[in-house]
Amino acid sequence: MRFLLVITQAIDAFSRLIGVFATYLVLLAALVSAFNAFARYSIASIVGLERKLSFGGGGLAWLLDLYRQNSNTLGEAQWYMFAGMVMFGAAHTLRMNEHVRVDVLYGAASERTRLWIDLLGGIFFLLPMCLLMIAFTWPWFLESYYGGEMSANAGGLLRWPVKLALPLGFALVALQGLSEILKCFLALAGHGRTRSYERPVQ
Amino acid sequence: MIDLIKEYMAPMMFAGLVVFMVIGYPAAFSLAAVGLFFGLVAIELGVIAPDFLGNLTFQLFSVLSNDLLLAIPFFTLMGVILERCGLAEDLLEGFGQLFGGLRGGLSYAVILVGAILGAITGTVAASVIAMGLIALPVMLKYGYNIRHATGVIAASGTITQLIPPSLVLVVLADQLQRPVGDMYRGAFGASFVQVLLFSLWVLLLSVLRPRDVPPLPPEARRLRGLALAWRCIRGMVPSILLIFVVLGTIFLGLATPTEAGAMGVVGAFLLAASYGRLKWSMTYQGMQTTMRITSMVVFILLGARTFSLVFQGIGGKEWIEGLLTTLPGGAIGFLVFVNVFIFIIAFFLDFFEIAFIIIPLLAPAATALGIDLVWFGVLLGANMQTSFMHPPFGFALFYLRGISPPSVRSSDIYWGALPWVALQLMLVALLIAFPSIVTFFIDAPSTLNLDTIEVEIPSTDSGSDLNSPPAIDLSEPPKFDEQP
Repeated sequence: MRFLLVITQAIDAFSRLIGVFATYLVLLAALVSAFNAFARYSIASIVGLERKLSFGGGGLAWLLDLYRQNSNTLGEAQWYMFAGMVMFGAAHTLRMNEHVRVDVLYGAASERTRLWIDLLGGIFFLLPMCLLMIAFTWPWFLESYYGGEMSANAGGLLRWPVKLALPLGFALVALQGLSEILKCFLALAGHGRTRSYERPVQ
Repeated sequence: MIDLIKEYMAPMMFAGLVVFMVIGYPAAFSLAAVGLFFGLVAIELGVIAPDFLGNLTFQLFSVLSNDLLLAIPFFTLMGVILERCGLAEDLLEGFGQLFGGLRGGLSYAVILVGAILGAITGTVAASVIAMGLIALPVMLKYGYNIRHATGVIAASGTITQLIPPSLVLVVLADQLQRPVGDMYRGAFGASFVQVLLFSLWVLLLSVLRPRDVPPLPPEARRLRGLALAWRCIRGMVPSILLIFVVLGTIFLGLATPTEAGAMGVVGAFLLAASYGRLKWSMTYQGMQTTMRITSMVVFILLGARTFSLVFQGIGGKEWIEGLLTTLPGGAIGFLVFVNVFIFIIAFFLDFFEIAFIIIPLLAPAATALGIDLVWFGVLLGANMQTSFMHPPFGFALFYLRGISPPSVRSSDIYWGALPWVALQLMLVALLIAFPSIVTFFIDAPSTLNLDTIEVEIPSTDSGSDLNSPPAIDLSEPPKFDEQP
């Protein structure tokens, strides 16, 4: 029993660590996206102004070129980060018990019933689902990786990292799911703390 | 037996979903598991091709590579920052003092500030928490009826859902495949009517039950003249700036809703810094909340995509469409049924589940009946406001419970919400009766709609001539919002 407890603690700590990474992606994505929008209009208007007033002798056009060459990189980086925060944050969200439930019955059920629901749900829903998802998405990632697939846009990014996010994210969720299953099992067997269930925030 | 299963696979799958969701395991995982299970069974029975599930990867990937959904973390983060930056205090203080002398003055202030906060941010939590913390103690102190006070705060917080840039409209636009800009424009009229309805209710109360909404005593109105004007300006100027940064850039076509959300985040940071409240601990907490909400929401969407891919593969779409388009009463019958259905199902599912599971089933039927999807989306958005106002998913009520003093009983909060839910339903009825409230603000003329009907009439056998919202209705003069 002690051994199982140590395993759950190790998995929880790992999920939290990955969750920290996902947390920083939120801020980074917001800043990149804001910069992207801001740069597009400010550079376009600076260059436009320059043409009209011809104060820089056309010498500022490189700014526009620089932006044009990199805008797709920035634009794609945004949703790469979005994919990252979703797939890498899901395990941590599961640990915090914040995946939303229909709690008509669950909310009224006893602590023991809830543990059973989570235990069986984890074994029959979560784990098989994650394993199937990994089975579907992993070959797809490999294909992209070995093919060296690039984005079709100029200045676009390599595709395989974001494709890796899918199987990796499901694997992390499965791992955390295992920890939750063990925790339910331990609690039902009379070891370990009871978990508190709060409704998720929105 | 096998043939029977094959034929009734779609209803069975739907029933399976209902059963497994009701058990209470997280919806995202139940959805995906039910989808995959029925997918494998369907392949085994030869209902769908063995490689059909290969599409799954593309479906999942299209969720993650969706630029529009990026607006979810941005608007959430913006809301979390604004909630703690002190803007709501300034606004409420200013307007509270301004209207305080009137009967129900504090209620008007809450409604107005709710609308302004709604036009800045896209999340209900930010408005309800900020207003509850500031306005509720004041309202209780000066003798406002508890139920009225909690009701008006929760209801005004949910206006956020309907006023652009609402997250709900972004998600609905994604699900209905309509431009977010159109949804936003369409929602303007609706949210204005809602503010009007709320204010009229307060006016009615101040006549019928004046003791519930007393004016502030003179000694409580210490700000006068210049000081009062200054306080209002201090709240309004940053608000208007932020509204421009977010809404203005979207409407002027300068930025996509996603980018506007990102700039709103930066704006919220600057604002918090100007109030001296920008701290790393607060920022990090906000990022963490945002990450968890985003992940939770998008996982529901991943599960829902898995489910609907298989559901459509086994003919579920035709089944649902057949059910909905043969409802008596044509378009109106469909709308009434759908709205009653959504109102009821909102007792069991939260907004995102409804949007991701139910809406994709409704949209094809609505299109077949010639209903303008933008109008339909705004209508559903208005309807789903109620889900924030009643148990068990009444988030607005939860937030309020979390921050109100112990002297306020939970039953007060629940009963207090009742008249406001009725007002929201009245808005839904008004939108159905006068579609021009929505369509007036959309650039594309709704005559387009008439064209589609002419094409559609032969195919529908309901024989109704009410297949679409009437074109622009001029029986009611257009109203222009005093710019919030």
